[in-house]
Amino acid sequence: MSNGQNFEEKERERKIRRKIFYLTFATLALISGGFLIWKLSILILPIIVGCLLAFVFRPVKDRFRVRWLPHELQVLCSFVAIGVVLFFAFNTLRKHIPDEQQKLEFKVRLQYKLNARYRQLVAKLPERKSNAVTPLIEKEVGPLMDKVNQALALDPKERDLFLKYAAGYNGKFPIQSKFVDYFWANQGTGKYVIPEKIPISPAPAGAPIGVAPTPAPPASEGASLENKLSAWMLAPLIFIFLGFDNGQIRRFFISLVPNRYFELSLTVLDELDDAIGRYLRGTLLECFLVGLALALGLILLGIPMGIAVAIGVLSGLLNAIPFLGTVIALVIGVGYALIAENVTPLIPGLNPNDLALYVLILVVIVHVLDDVVFQPFVLGSAANVHPLVVVIAIIAGSLIMGLWGMLFAIPTVVVVKTAVATFFKELKDYRII
Amino acid sequence: MSARKFAADKLLWETLGRWKRSSPELDRIQFLKTVPFFDRLSNRQLKRVSDIMFERSYDADESIFEEGQPGAALFLILDGKIAIEICRETSTTRLAVLERGAFFGEMALLDDSPRSANARALELTRTLALYRNDLNGLMHRHARTACQIYRSLASMIGDRLRSTNQLVQMKISAETTGLE
Repeated sequence: MSNGQNFEEKERERKIRRKIFYLTFATLALISGGFLIWKLSILILPIIVGCLLAFVFRPVKDRFRVRWLPHELQVLCSFVAIGVVLFFAFNTLRKHIPDEQQKLEFKVRLQYKLNARYRQLVAKLPERKSNAVTPLIEKEVGPLMDKVNQALALDPKERDLFLKYAAGYNGKFPIQSKFVDYFWANQGTGKYVIPEKIPISPAPAGAPIGVAPTPAPPASEGASLENKLSAWMLAPLIFIFLGFDNGQIRRFFISLVPNRYFELSLTVLDELDDAIGRYLRGTLLECFLVGLALALGLILLGIPMGIAVAIGVLSGLLNAIPFLGTVIALVIGVGYALIAENVTPLIPGLNPNDLALYVLILVVIVHVLDDVVFQPFVLGSAANVHPLVVVIAIIAGSLIMGLWGMLFAIPTVVVVKTAVATFFKELKDYRII
Repeated sequence: MSARKFAADKLLWETLGRWKRSSPELDRIQFLKTVPFFDRLSNRQLKRVSDIMFERSYDADESIFEEGQPGAALFLILDGKIAIEICRETSTTRLAVLERGAFFGEMALLDDSPRSANARALELTRTLALYRNDLNGLMHRHARTACQIYRSLASMIGDRLRSTNQLVQMKISAETTGLE
């Protein structure tokens, strides 16, 4: 056999060996990766959040350039800047998050105001129609009001606490006497619908009487919370380490790519990075604009600035969940409008008694503004996803991961859509398929 | 200082010096210094360029890029030999064989227009690749370094244009002389 043939034979054998090695390695990596994902599923969400934060804040880090500072120090300075901004933002928000006393007060006020509105509605019905409409409204809305009352009613422990706060407790100012009156009025609220009598079946012999079965607290609850907390410690760590990364992670992954796909993988990674970055930052800007518009609108309606900003921030954040964000903004806004008192709208001619209606109109206007102006200008065509896909993705997200799943459903769909489209386009451009 | 301490210090510095000289990063910078494309850059600037480059190894007869593919990176030859070829339906024309220190695919630094020829390794070859968007990123971070590279690229394209013009002029004058 000649030397040339021998060499070719060896090369062929080497290629076969290489293929077997790569296949075995890939299979082992897949199996161990799958096992780790299954076992460490608690870490997935913090890792995703940490990566997303690093991704979103990367332009801030990249813009923060001081020629004479080393890279690590520049990153550290940009982290400090981001941290200071976030600290002040959270500190401002924290002031408007209701404490225990305010929560009890809000519940009492909301229950009282809702009942007052309901009674007002029933009483306002015109005389000649009252015979036909009143029973209908009482039949339809009455049970709903009963359920609302049941949900908002304070339990015995909360009632004791409210009365303590009413007299001044824990170094806080006593609750206003008006709200204490609301509390007593709420205690006297009866049911709007009289329940039909259900025949009571005799208790089986030997069963304990008058003792409701109480579920035993899960033994591992404390440990699970501790695990979750320690898992969430990973998010800031990932954020910091990805911030310090100077392209090493990308270089590592590119080094694994076969030569044939080297330029292709660089282009695909870059286009994906660009598209996803534009989408995520666009969504963040859109949420900010929605929150700002809502907060400004609420301020114009006379709602105190702190509360308006808090509702704006919360609604802006939840705006990332299509449809549901608007509904939650509506519930929070109208909920506050119902309990708000002594409100003087900055726009002349508005009746303060119809604040809930104005908030409803405001939320609709902001939603339309978001659809017509913010989304097309800020996001462009980056988020062109069919509404049906959006609905299915949100439901699927909520089934898999609850609220977080709903929040990440659309970004995931956009990322997958962009990745697949870019990948196929580049594969065709590079004549691989 | 005692003679013993002086000898120990000398040994330490010599070891450190040897270690530094043999580091792959320094080797790469030393190599980049020899490439005309980067001859205007200082050591510090070369380090920045070296940080964004990818090292790739190609087997003999392995394709680096093919004609018609969108260009994304410039390649520098660290070791080995590369053939630049144009394939037609019936034949393959070899335009050049490039060796250590040479570079190819430089037009990819300007845009993603299709490659005008095939590049194939003739033997086991190591290359350094500079990706277009990484150079664009360098422009935002270290504008002076990126400008120097673009300047080299512009002057190289100018040289080629001049030589192409000369060739065209020579051909025209030859045709004119032939006609007369």
